[in-house]
Amino acid sequence: MLNERAFKAVGRPLPRKEDLRLITGKGRFTDDFSMPGQVWAAMVRSPHPHARIVAIDPKSALEMPGVLGVYTGADCDRDGLKSIPHNPVPSTNFDVKLTGRNGTKVFIGSHTLLPSDKARHVGEAVAMVVAETRDQAYAAAEVVDVTYDVLPWVADTAAAAEPDAPRLWDELPDNILVDSSFGKFEETDAAFARAEHVVTMRSHVGRVTGVPLEPRAALGHYDAETGRYTLYAGSGGAVRQKREMAEVLNEDPENLRLLSFDVGGNFGTRNRAYVEFGLVLYASRKLGRPVKFRAERSEAFLTDYQGRDLVTEVSLAIDKDGKFLAMRASNLSNVGSRCVSLSPLSKGSGLITGSYNIPYATLRSRAVYSNTMQTQAYRSSGRPEVTFAIERLIDKAARELGFDRLELRRRNLVRPDQMPYVNAVGSTYDSGEYEANMDRLLALADWQGVEARRAEAKSRGKILGVGFANYVESSIGTPKERADVIVRRDGVEVVIGTQPAGQGHETSFAQVTADLLGVPFENVTITLGDTDVVSAGGGTHSGRSMRHASTVLALASEDLIAKGRALAAHCLDVPLDSVMFEEGVFRVADRNTFLTWFDLANRAEDKTLPEQLRGGLKVRRDSEMHTPVFPNGACACEIEVDPETGGLDIVRYATVDDVGRCINPLIVHGQTHGGIAQGVGQALWEQCAIDPGSGQPTSGSLMDYGMPRFDNMPSFKTQIVEVLSPTNPFGVKAGGEGGTTPAPAVIMSAVEDALAEFGPLDFEMPATPFKIWSAIQKGRARRGSPAAA
Amino acid sequence: MAKVSMTVNGSPVSREVEDNMLLAFFLRETLGLTGTHIGCDTTQCGCCVVHVDGRSVKSCTMLAAQANGCAVTTIEGLAQGEKLHPVQEAFHKCHALQCGYCTPGMIMAATNLIETYDGELTEEIVREEMEGNLCRCTGYHNIVKAILAAADEMRQPRSAA
Amino acid sequence: MHSLRYHRPGRVEEALTLFAKGDDAAYLSGGHTLLPTMKQGLARPPEIIDLGGIPALRHITSGDGHITIGATTCHADVAASEAVIKAIPALAGLAGSIGDRHVRNRGTIGGSVANNDPAADYPAAVLGLGATVITDRREIPADDYFVALYETALEPGEIITSIRFPIPDIAAYAKFRSAASRYSVAAVFISRGAQGVRVAVTGAGARGVFRAQNMEKALAKDFRAEALANVRIDPATLLDDLNGSPDYRAHLVAVMARRAMENLGTTQSYK
Repeated sequence: MLNERAFKAVGRPLPRKEDLRLITGKGRFTDDFSMPGQVWAAMVRSPHPHARIVAIDPKSALEMPGVLGVYTGADCDRDGLKSIPHNPVPSTNFDVKLTGRNGTKVFIGSHTLLPSDKARHVGEAVAMVVAETRDQAYAAAEVVDVTYDVLPWVADTAAAAEPDAPRLWDELPDNILVDSSFGKFEETDAAFARAEHVVTMRSHVGRVTGVPLEPRAALGHYDAETGRYTLYAGSGGAVRQKREMAEVLNEDPENLRLLSFDVGGNFGTRNRAYVEFGLVLYASRKLGRPVKFRAERSEAFLTDYQGRDLVTEVSLAIDKDGKFLAMRASNLSNVGSRCVSLSPLSKGSGLITGSYNIPYATLRSRAVYSNTMQTQAYRSSGRPEVTFAIERLIDKAARELGFDRLELRRRNLVRPDQMPYVNAVGSTYDSGEYEANMDRLLALADWQGVEARRAEAKSRGKILGVGFANYVESSIGTPKERADVIVRRDGVEVVIGTQPAGQGHETSFAQVTADLLGVPFENVTITLGDTDVVSAGGGTHSGRSMRHASTVLALASEDLIAKGRALAAHCLDVPLDSVMFEEGVFRVADRNTFLTWFDLANRAEDKTLPEQLRGGLKVRRDSEMHTPVFPNGACACEIEVDPETGGLDIVRYATVDDVGRCINPLIVHGQTHGGIAQGVGQALWEQCAIDPGSGQPTSGSLMDYGMPRFDNMPSFKTQIVEVLSPTNPFGVKAGGEGGTTPAPAVIMSAVEDALAEFGPLDFEMPATPFKIWSAIQKGRARRGSPAAA
Repeated sequence: MAKVSMTVNGSPVSREVEDNMLLAFFLRETLGLTGTHIGCDTTQCGCCVVHVDGRSVKSCTMLAAQANGCAVTTIEGLAQGEKLHPVQEAFHKCHALQCGYCTPGMIMAATNLIETYDGELTEEIVREEMEGNLCRCTGYHNIVKAILAAADEMRQPRSAA
Repeated sequence: MHSLRYHRPGRVEEALTLFAKGDDAAYLSGGHTLLPTMKQGLARPPEIIDLGGIPALRHITSGDGHITIGATTCHADVAASEAVIKAIPALAGLAGSIGDRHVRNRGTIGGSVANNDPAADYPAAVLGLGATVITDRREIPADDYFVALYETALEPGEIITSIRFPIPDIAAYAKFRSAASRYSVAAVFISRGAQGVRVAVTGAGARGVFRAQNMEKALAKDFRAEALANVRIDPATLLDDLNGSPDYRAHLVAVMARRAMENLGTTQSYK
């Protein structure tokens, strides 16, 4: 269907349309909006990890200047507000089917806007204060008198899974909400039994948080005259969150308008609705004024939906030649105090065997509640965790069994002739050239030069470490998408339901549309984010957007071309089959006549048109696509460790990423860069630390939560490979999450390589200077060397 | 309440504000210049950087009253009408922004760096000197490129060859 | 932020009068200590006296074997000062290593020294050079000035007007920074001059900046990095947190001291 030779925009590194407003200070982020008469909300937050709410006395707060109201969970219940319908169990056709114990339904635990029974994590909002100014609201929130009955708490992932751990939900006998097993048990056990070697590893890929630079904000307004609610809120999917808030408020979705224009970073943190979305709408209705909320960065650290937190135990059965025979995995995901999304656990579950041909595997997937903030999808949800598990396990196997770590991988990679490849847990990898990518990467990384660089680093007193990782990740995402394509006399408008937060959809979707319709890229605009205009759509997550958008746009353009031909035939008074659409114009065979889209759009306004051609030159098309795709690649990095301090520098970082068709390389490289930084951040600096004695989160600000910065990140060498996916018209896979997926594994692989002389790593990420220095001391002591100089 | 008067983007402004009003909120809320952004509460992220009397400062950590009598330049004041500043052009060409939230502060920081740094700007120096600005989207790679490109452009001798 | 009254006196005497009349007032200099503290709600002074409007407090003068820096001089100006670069390059380098460019354009030496943050850089220079803290009412030698964590010898209302640094024969500063806060986990300022050898440690001590007397003795005998080979700080007096254990800090102090000696006349920053 696609005529690639006609591509003028697709594949080109075009600078972005969205830039002009963003580089001149004219962006439209949620806090940039204000409404006349608006008042401010502040949350009263639980200081305890787990406590029964005995009583809330608003008296002192109500006496504070400017205070208009104090609202509690009891108020919300009385006014009939419902729980947020997060719908956390992934349910597309190809999602791994997670269940409770013995195949039972997963117990979700309701997420009311404000709890009336217990606070289940430090920072949980238990009441809302509304006042004339933001300062007044925050000041009054401090004096709302809440009586708590403090309960035993548990934060640690493994500890929360113990049968006698403090229980968050009375409906469950313990904290385990998911316990499903998959795979071929007999065959796997047999393979392990006969294997020459078995290697086992346990690790905890810890908890991190997205830190989008725009803190959360929401502005809610109930208009009593029209009976409609309006909500401005940075979102990962305005259409979805409109429906969810409507359900919370017992409203017809058509009575709610959600506006999400410029969003200052998402990465997963905005994929689910926050309680303040509903609370500002509720308060606005009660008070008759618009109500605004803006989180402090410290509130964001405490109450943004967090990411990762997986304890994984993996074993690999290997024959004497290094061939992988079978794998066992047991994954335990910490969802926090409520279940908002099981995507990290389910996404990871489908990919435990990684890039390798491992014929048999078994997997136990469990999820546990704990007295911590809720987790959900975060950049490459679930995939960095399982990539970490398999890649580090292979490193361990190579080291313990005396294989070369690259050769061991090469021997076991899924081969192109095996594609489409069904892995041992049922995921069908659509396409890929894994070994070729590995070779491309080794060239890009100048693997040959490593030993020379190691010697040179040594001469400067530094220890070089080089890391390697392959990866395969999956992009499924919400299966439905809708596009309206409207041709007007001055340009083409596309209305679509994705929700970018920096991915450049206004540009890349315009490139796709321009080439499908044969119009100039400059003449296409993309409309997003206002649910009064965007009627349907799946939002942006999991690398879904370009695949779904390009697909629905391809279908819509077919419909539009058909309409255009019909209209052209009518206008030119010729039979339909003599009208051809070629190179962006409607041409009549054997005649020197043609009409452009914009000529037709003019004619489409004509009121004398026959019925079936009236209504303008536009189409609406829905598509539904469940088949996942599997971006993949390889990655290598070099670090230099200062053995005297444990400090390290990343000196080289190279990746090869198969993203399927690359619509805009400038944008895709940018996604890779940012994705790398987030994965590296988890490996070296980032951690949502909790004090084991008190249950209090201790990394509550940028003073404690280390971040990738200009001076601790290197420049990258990134190469895009396009192995077209057979699953969708453009052959798109995804480019947004491949940078992150192998990053934690490759950094720890490099750290282990640097510290090889001191023994295998026995610490978890983040690999801080203190941990590295301590490992060096331990290693020296074990060897009987003199204590560190 | 006190009156603060300053020049903002070349125009004199004078307003009565609460004594505790920070410069960032004076710009955003009192003057409606929402291009300057707030990203953190520990003076670390740099989203709020503006120029005050020719120096880059974090406007979230300055009282509006402290800027009394000063010349303030925000992101909105950088372009000359339709003509973008070389740093803005470079950010666009090099794809040095994604979500755009850190971008105003980043551009103001970069501009001041190029204008005032005494010495040659290399990748290493740029990375060190831009430490006060965080970005979560780009991984910094393209921002470094943009700053070096803009520096080349801005520091070229003006005389004809 | 809480409500407050803001004052901007033009002279030190005016500031003192405002303080005496006021109710629990706080002085404001560059604002990069006080304002973040107020934003967190950790301090709520009802009155702020901005010293930034007092011209007499902003200067860098050299003469008679000393460099004197006015209390409201910002870090960027100290770092760029020809006089400081020439006379005490390690001090210029230290000022240039504080925070980031934007912080250095506002943060002041007086503010830093008055606050005495246990991980701040200037206290190490003041103690390490044997400087004198000059206030509106007296002169306080460095050895008497730093009392405890966030505590100094200043009386309520006392204003630092300048700090007078004796110009040493040579000095150096080496710091190891925390990944997140960018403050020092351990940093050492070494000088040799009229007062002999002085070694000041910041970032590591549980009670704030301190002099490492065993290191001073070793270097007084033999002013070379090698002289520090077996000199250790007692971990018992050091901080224990996520950045590191007392043993790690003790080790870092030794490494930073050695690196300062290997790079005399400069400031070195590691992470």
